[in-house]
Amino acid sequence: MVVKVNNLVKRYKELIALDHFNMEVKEGEILGLLGPNGCGKTTAINCILSLLSFDKGEIEVFGKKMTPNSYDIKKKIGLVPQEVSVFNNLTVKENIDYFCGLYIDDKKLREKYVDEAIEFVGLKDYVKFYPKKLSGGLKRRLNISCGIAHKPKLIFLDEPTVAVDAQSRNFILNGIKKLNSEGSTIIYTTHYLEEVEMLCKRIIIMDKGRSLVSGTKEELKAMITTSEKIVAGFLNIDDKTIEKMKNIPHVIDIEKDDEDYIIKFENGVNNLSNLLEFIKDNNLTYTKLHSQLPSLNDVFLELTGKELRD
Amino acid sequence: MRNLFRNCIYQGKNLFRDFGFSFWSLLYPLIMAVFFYTAFSGMLETELKEINVGIDSENSIVNILREIEFLNVHKISKDEVVKKLDDEEIDGFVDSDLDIKVKESGINQTIIKEVVEQIKQMKKLNRPIENYDFSVDYIADRNQKANPLVIIFYSLIAMVSTYGVFAGIEAVSLIQANLSNIGERLNIVPLKKSKFILVGVVVALALNLFANGILLIFIKYVLKLNLFTEIKYSAILIIMGNLFGVALGIFIGSSNKKSNDVKTIMAIAMTLVLSFLSGMMGSGIKVMIDENVPILSRINPISIITNNLYRINLLGSTKSIGEGVIVLSIYCIVLIFTSYIFLRRQSYDSL
Repeated sequence: MVVKVNNLVKRYKELIALDHFNMEVKEGEILGLLGPNGCGKTTAINCILSLLSFDKGEIEVFGKKMTPNSYDIKKKIGLVPQEVSVFNNLTVKENIDYFCGLYIDDKKLREKYVDEAIEFVGLKDYVKFYPKKLSGGLKRRLNISCGIAHKPKLIFLDEPTVAVDAQSRNFILNGIKKLNSEGSTIIYTTHYLEEVEMLCKRIIIMDKGRSLVSGTKEELKAMITTSEKIVAGFLNIDDKTIEKMKNIPHVIDIEKDDEDYIIKFENGVNNLSNLLEFIKDNNLTYTKLHSQLPSLNDVFLELTGKELRD
Repeated sequence: MRNLFRNCIYQGKNLFRDFGFSFWSLLYPLIMAVFFYTAFSGMLETELKEINVGIDSENSIVNILREIEFLNVHKISKDEVVKKLDDEEIDGFVDSDLDIKVKESGINQTIIKEVVEQIKQMKKLNRPIENYDFSVDYIADRNQKANPLVIIFYSLIAMVSTYGVFAGIEAVSLIQANLSNIGERLNIVPLKKSKFILVGVVVALALNLFANGILLIFIKYVLKLNLFTEIKYSAILIIMGNLFGVALGIFIGSSNKKSNDVKTIMAIAMTLVLSFLSGMMGSGIKVMIDENVPILSRINPISIITNNLYRINLLGSTKSIGEGVIVLSIYCIVLIFTSYIFLRRQSYDSL
C-alpha cells in the first residue's frame, strides 16, 4: 500500500473537516477523490503530506509513518497544488529547474528531467516566458510540471484543471494517464465527474469530511438502486399519466427536468420496450427518448440526497 | 551546499526582478536622496564659524581649549552663563566639573561635548593633552561635512540599510505554507526549513547591500557629497543595519498572517517613524528627543546608525560604536529568536 489513512479526524475549531476519514491507495493506481467543494479533499491531502496537523488518526506513506521530517518519503512525492504555486519572477524553465533541483542534485540528470517535463506539458515554446505572460491553462501546465519534473513515485494532483480551457484540460488529463503508465501512483482530487470517470481506476466519494464509498466506477454504480435512466419528452402528457407511468415494471421514480422527464429504473431488463409499450397504450406523442446508464452523480445523489455541484 | 547555492541564485533572481524590491530598495532611496538634496541644498552654502565656548576662569582646561584653533574661548563668570547663552554669544559653557551647559543642541554643541569628553578621557589615562590633535579629529574637512544636509543623508543611509526588511518578509512568506502557495510546495520538499531561512537571509543581505552600494555611489559621484572618511567603521554600521533590517523583516513576516502587502506597509511605517525620530526630516525632532528622552536615541536602531555615522565621519569619534553594535546585535538576536519560535512549527492548524 502506498498510502494508508486510518480514522483521520481534523477539526477547524467547531467545524469537523475530516470525520474519521479512511483511504488506501495501491501502487500504480489512479485514485480519484471525488466530492463537492469544501468536502475535505484538499484537507485530506494536506494532512497526508503533513502540512496540516490533525486531531486523530494514522497516516502511512510508503509503509512508514508520515511526519514533517520524513525527508526520505518526501523525496518520492510530487505535489500539484490547487493554486498555481510558482515564482512570478522566474521564467518557465527557471521555475521547473528550481523545483526539480530541490530533489535532484546531479546537474546532467536534472537538465534531462527539466527538458522532459517541459516537453511533457507542452511548454517548449514558452520556456523564456514569465508566468504572468501565460494564459490560465498554460500556468496550470507549468504548475503541474513543477510538481512532476523530478519523476516522483507518488503524485498528488489537487484539482489541476480548475478554470482551464478545454484544450489544456485534455492535455492535462492525457498527461496524467501517461504519468500513471510510466509507473507513478496518482491521487487525484476533483469535483468534475467526467474527469474521474475518464481517469481513475478507483474512486472514493467524499462528503462532509467522510469517505462515503470507494470502489471502481462500476462497483460504485452497482451500489445504487437506479440502474438505468430514460430521458423522455412528451407533447401531450398530464400528471395522471405520469402517476400511471410509475406502475411500469422496475420504475422507481420520475423527475421533471425542464420540459423533459427522467424515468429511473431499478435493475431490470426491457425497460425501454416497456416504456414504449406504455406510450403506445396511452396514445402519447414523444419528442425525445434516450436511455442513460447511471452516472457517479447519481451515486452521489442517492448517497447524500444532493447533487455533486450543489 | 550546491543545492543551497542554486537556491540562493534562483531566489536572488526572483527577488531582484520583483517590482517591489526594485522600487523600495533600489529606486526609492535614490528618489529620497534627490529629494533631500534638492530640498536642502541651500544648507551646503553654510560656512561654519568658530565655536564660542564659555569657561570659568578657574577651570583647569582653559589653556587646553585655547590651544584648539577652532574654539573661541570666553572666560565668564557663572552668573553670566544664562544671559550669554540666551544672547547666543557662546554656544556652550564648560563648568569646573567639566559638565557642559547649552541652550540648544547642534553641531557646535556636539563638537564642544566631544572635545571635553576627549579631554576627560585623556586625563583619566594620564596622557599629555598637548599630543592630541583636535583639529585633525574634529575639524578636518569640516566645511564639507558639518552641515545639516550631510546629517540628513546619514539618516537616509541608516534607513535604507534597514531595507533588508522587505526581503526578510519575502523570505518568510516563501517558506510558510499558511502564508503563500509556494510555501505549501516548499514545505513538502526534502529540505529543512532552516536551510530556506538561511538562503532567505543570505539573499536579503546580498541584495540590500548591493542596493546600499548603488545609493552610496550615487551620493558620492552624482550628488558629489563626500560622506565617509572612516570606511571600515561605517561599513560595520551599515552591515549591522542590514542585519537588523533582515531580522526585523523575518520577525514581521513570521509573527502574523497578514498579507505581504500589509506587512510591507508595516515595515515602511516602522522604518519611516524610526528615521523620523532619528532626524531624517529635520534635526529639530532629534534635538527635542535628545533633550527630553535621550534614551530613545540610544535604543532607536536608525538613530544608533545615524549618530554613529555622524560621530565617526564628522567628529572622528568611535567611542560609541561598540555600544551601538551591541544594541543592534541584541535586537537581531531577540528578533531572530522570537521569529524562530513562530517558525519552528512544522505542521499548521490551517492553511
